Amino acid sequence: MIAALLRSELRKTRSTKLWWGLLVPVALLTLLVNLFGGVFTLALGAGPDAEDRLPLLLASLAYSLALAATFSGVYGAISAAGEFRHRTITTTYLTAPGRGPVLVAKLLVAAGVGAVYALVTAVVGAFGGLVGQESTQFPETGALLGVVAIGAGVCALWGALGAALGTALGNQVTVLVLLLVYVLLGEPLLSLLLTANDSPAVAGISAYLPVNAGEVALYDVPARVLVGPADGAELLGLAAGVSGPPSWWGGLLVLAGWAAVTGALAGVVGGRRDIT
Amino acid sequence: MVANSGRIGTVTSPRGDDGSGRITVHGLTKRFGPVSAVEDLTFAVERGTVTGFLGPNGSGKTTTLRMLLGLVAPTAGEARINGLRFGELPHPARVVGAVLEAQGFHPARSARAHLAACAAAIRVPDAAVGHVLTAVGLDTAAGRPVGGFSLGMAQRLALATALLGDPQVLVLDEPANGLDPEGIAWLRAFVRGFAAQGRTVLVSSHALAEVEQTVDHVVVINRGRCVHQGPLARLRGRPRVLVACPDPARLAEALTKAGLGEIESRRDGRLAVTGADPARVGDVALAAGVAVHGLEAERVDLEQLYFGLTAGAR
Repeated sequence: MIAALLRSELRKTRSTKLWWGLLVPVALLTLLVNLFGGVFTLALGAGPDAEDRLPLLLASLAYSLALAATFSGVYGAISAAGEFRHRTITTTYLTAPGRGPVLVAKLLVAAGVGAVYALVTAVVGAFGGLVGQESTQFPETGALLGVVAIGAGVCALWGALGAALGTALGNQVTVLVLLLVYVLLGEPLLSLLLTANDSPAVAGISAYLPVNAGEVALYDVPARVLVGPADGAELLGLAAGVSGPPSWWGGLLVLAGWAAVTGALAGVVGGRRDIT
Repeated sequence: MVANSGRIGTVTSPRGDDGSGRITVHGLTKRFGPVSAVEDLTFAVERGTVTGFLGPNGSGKTTTLRMLLGLVAPTAGEARINGLRFGELPHPARVVGAVLEAQGFHPARSARAHLAACAAAIRVPDAAVGHVLTAVGLDTAAGRPVGGFSLGMAQRLALATALLGDPQVLVLDEPANGLDPEGIAWLRAFVRGFAAQGRTVLVSSHALAEVEQTVDHVVVINRGRCVHQGPLARLRGRPRVLVACPDPARLAEALTKAGLGEIESRRDGRLAVTGADPARVGDVALAAGVAVHGLEAERVDLEQLYFGLTAGAR
């Protein structure tokens, strides 16, 4: 049942330009970020006296993956809400045994597209990094693959989260504005407010917000590789703008939790919505 | 045709439904806030028939069909196809195909890609895509983006989508919209042929003339309520009596008590009593002590009756 709907959603995805239309900026941004080093390079001052061994590529790659995650969310949101915009949702529901399976198939395909974004980011990023960061050592394969795998997970979760949000709201403009304002403005502001709080418990909440959780997952490995396990958490908190971050798998779990909650919301709201 | 009519529904359906090809609507009600769109609607559509679902625009036809297809949740009552609610059908698109108003397509997707995505969802082979494209005459336009389609072409594509699962029941909401006269004639023949195979068609329209040549049965609704249902022949033949009376309210009350409830007030002040003969109306008036200034038997033509049934829509 899900397999048939997955095939259907894949065919829908492949027959429109959205997925690669968003992949183009992902690839371009990734190339730029990794050519010029990204935030970590700037933050750590990779000057002439910087240690030759610093695998900054790992950090700039993680940063590009965080960007790719936002695009994954945007893809999921636009594609899911697009069914309502173009009124194709009627046909989708008429050809499926229930709305629940449709939602599951949509979340899975959006997650798949997110993972593809992450893999393209990894390939383009590694290429850009090799060209632009030749003074630094290429990171260890294990750490590199780890960051890429975590990135695939984060992008997949953001794809699913976006699709769930798109289904729950059912309006392309609303979901796009809401998602971008929250990711680019809302959560950074919220994090600033939280981390400024004197209570460590309140400040610690910042690491459990969805965007931050994804960044925690992404920056954990690079931070530890850059400054060692002891100071890794501090650098991680700095990079993700949070206080008291969990480890990468904790971040992934938190993000998965947010995706699950949004998915459940989409199931309830989308399941009851009258398609008129 | 006769040989075909037994093909569907005589064996237990492999789809998990009763295979009857029957649509049943019982006490169906939908309120949007304080607005009542459909009120206590009950009717049945039998297999092998074409039923016209008639009513003025805004009378609740589309809402009813969307409730039947599980797209809108009823406030009360239920609608079943093959004995199951739409949401309970394991393979809905193989049981019922629907062409609805405001059913959309992605403008950048080709007709073939649209159908291929649907074919995957309903688990029919991709070859079915070519078959339905041929059936509706869209072969040559299949590779073009749907955004460039005319209304008539889009309507044909919607029908192709509905037919993809080779369904037993077809639900069409104002299917003639956007079709040219040639297309309408083609659609009529198609619908008749579909029903002749022992399948079921429910077709809505705001204009009786549009479906008059196609339907066997009619369900007429007005302001969300059923005002008439039965064979088209019965609707066609029903006599009416026009009564001129100085006290129409009292006469109407007496007539209703006497079982002649299908009464409406006409603009000229007369009452139109459907399903009665002049003698009976005269007797009732006499018994009630109401003066009658004129009695006229009328055999309305279909269109007139339809307008009478659906008067006061807005």
